[in-house]
Amino acid sequence: MQELIYYFTHLAIIIGIYAILALGLNLVVGYTGLLSVMHAAFYGVGAYATALLMTQLGFNFFIATGLSVVIAIVLSFAIGLVLSRFDGDYYALGSLGFGVILYSVFLSWRGVTRGALGIPQIPKPELFGFEFSQITVFLLLVVVLAAGVYLCSRFVTRSSFGRVLMAIREDERAIQVFGYNTLYFKLTVFVIGAGIAAIAGALFASYITYINPSSFTAMESIYLLSIIILGGLASLRGSVLGAVFLVVLFEGLRHIGLSSDMAAHMREALYGVILVALMLYRPQGLVGKYKL
Amino acid sequence: MSDVVMQLVVNSITAGALYAIIAIGFTLSYGVGKFFNLAHGVMTAIGAYAVFYLTKGLQIEAWLAVFIAIIFTGAVGWLLERYIYAPLRARKASTMVLLVASLGAFTALQGVLSILFSSQVQTLTQGSAVQQVVAFAGATITEIQIITIITAIATLLGFVVLLRYTLFGKSVRAVSDDEEVSKIVGINTTRVIGVVFFLAAATAGLAGILVGFDTAIEPTMGMALLLKGVIAAIVGGIGNIYGAVLGALLLGFVENFGIWKIAGEWKDAIAFALLIAFLLFRPHGILNKKS
Repeated sequence: MQELIYYFTHLAIIIGIYAILALGLNLVVGYTGLLSVMHAAFYGVGAYATALLMTQLGFNFFIATGLSVVIAIVLSFAIGLVLSRFDGDYYALGSLGFGVILYSVFLSWRGVTRGALGIPQIPKPELFGFEFSQITVFLLLVVVLAAGVYLCSRFVTRSSFGRVLMAIREDERAIQVFGYNTLYFKLTVFVIGAGIAAIAGALFASYITYINPSSFTAMESIYLLSIIILGGLASLRGSVLGAVFLVVLFEGLRHIGLSSDMAAHMREALYGVILVALMLYRPQGLVGKYKL
Repeated sequence: MSDVVMQLVVNSITAGALYAIIAIGFTLSYGVGKFFNLAHGVMTAIGAYAVFYLTKGLQIEAWLAVFIAIIFTGAVGWLLERYIYAPLRARKASTMVLLVASLGAFTALQGVLSILFSSQVQTLTQGSAVQQVVAFAGATITEIQIITIITAIATLLGFVVLLRYTLFGKSVRAVSDDEEVSKIVGINTTRVIGVVFFLAAATAGLAGILVGFDTAIEPTMGMALLLKGVIAAIVGGIGNIYGAVLGALLLGFVENFGIWKIAGEWKDAIAFALLIAFLLFRPHGILNKKS
């Protein structure tokens, strides 16, 4: 029984982290129509920044997370400035490029990130002497943060700001004619998405207590993209649904007797097939509102 | 010192030749399909694993295995076009939908390869035979690298002849210019596009096989090769096969000279920095006339 509770709590935490990532990405891809294929890189920036601030400088988790969000925001602002010059497919390729470059930084800037060795012994969060070391307490933290991100995203998408985003997605030229500076809107939403990804990265680093570059590859970005396309573009519920599906599918495959390696391959193949099938038969995803 | 430079030049040209083979197919399929076919990358792995299976599993002679593998890879490319891209195009799907669909096909096929052959690194060469090395003006080059360069030149020439001097080539160029009008003047555009996708996939498979004989193969090898091919094609001017070769060579040189003084892992970052620089300052590539 104890083990079962532990197992489900663990799954819930992983789902929560993926849901946070998916919510941030959906703001960029689903609501604004910018096909970003570098979300895992900002996830990595958050994870590495938090891990380094905690292990090297002894920062508190919450301060480290805040700072890593700031770092992700500054970085994504600079990258977003470059990316905003592109649109459509070229945006996708350019963002993929930045994703690979950031991955190279994680892998090759050995003096700071320790390269492929990764960063071990990342401490658990602590607040006024209270430690989030128990898994159930950690889940509580994840749920609170995920709910916060969900509510923020809902606020963003329902505000007038969100309506401009969707207008950019539908017809950027037209909304420019109405006098909106679309660069400002695209940059802002990109920065928000990156900041949210950094929160997920911080949680991941502290929960797993060890990170290395392999969690933040281009392939991971593609997975994140398929989560939101599957769940539904421009749908916050869809993002959460997609995250649940990703984790449950993997665990389901493991439970029918596949090794974890084989389950990962099987999931990869299934995800590819699902993406193709969605594009053919339901380009807006399960509960989505917007077709690519 | 000059020996180092010479070696870097040789490495740049061999890398460029490999990227060129991939970029030519990518750029051609973009020309007729008007979308980034990312599944092009996984074709390299399919070709390589087909040879691996045929030579190590079925004990078929290497040359025959290579031949069958190239045809097989081409057929996979044709199937994707026939059953995924063509229906999407008929439905006037956006290029982003096609791009995501090709990404899905990439992921699915890569997953299938991992399931069939495990994610372990394999080699195509028999036993532990050391490769023949040829010394050349102070630099060394392996036999397989020479073959890669010759293959790249042959691929380029083959496509130039095909596109310039045959009726099929004419219809490819017509479809690249305007599919609708080509259809009106009686070109079977579905067939033309299908054949181009076959040829593109077949050459990508060939590139993967060359990599397999030179170093090693793994199911995930396609991503890195795809990205290099895409960068070469865009830098050179998408849709233009001479551009693809020029872009590939430029990429080969920039990459190899870029890591002269720093660690080799930065290669990919350098390659993408080149892409982003081009997208910013010369978005239509070296050779493209269209703007």
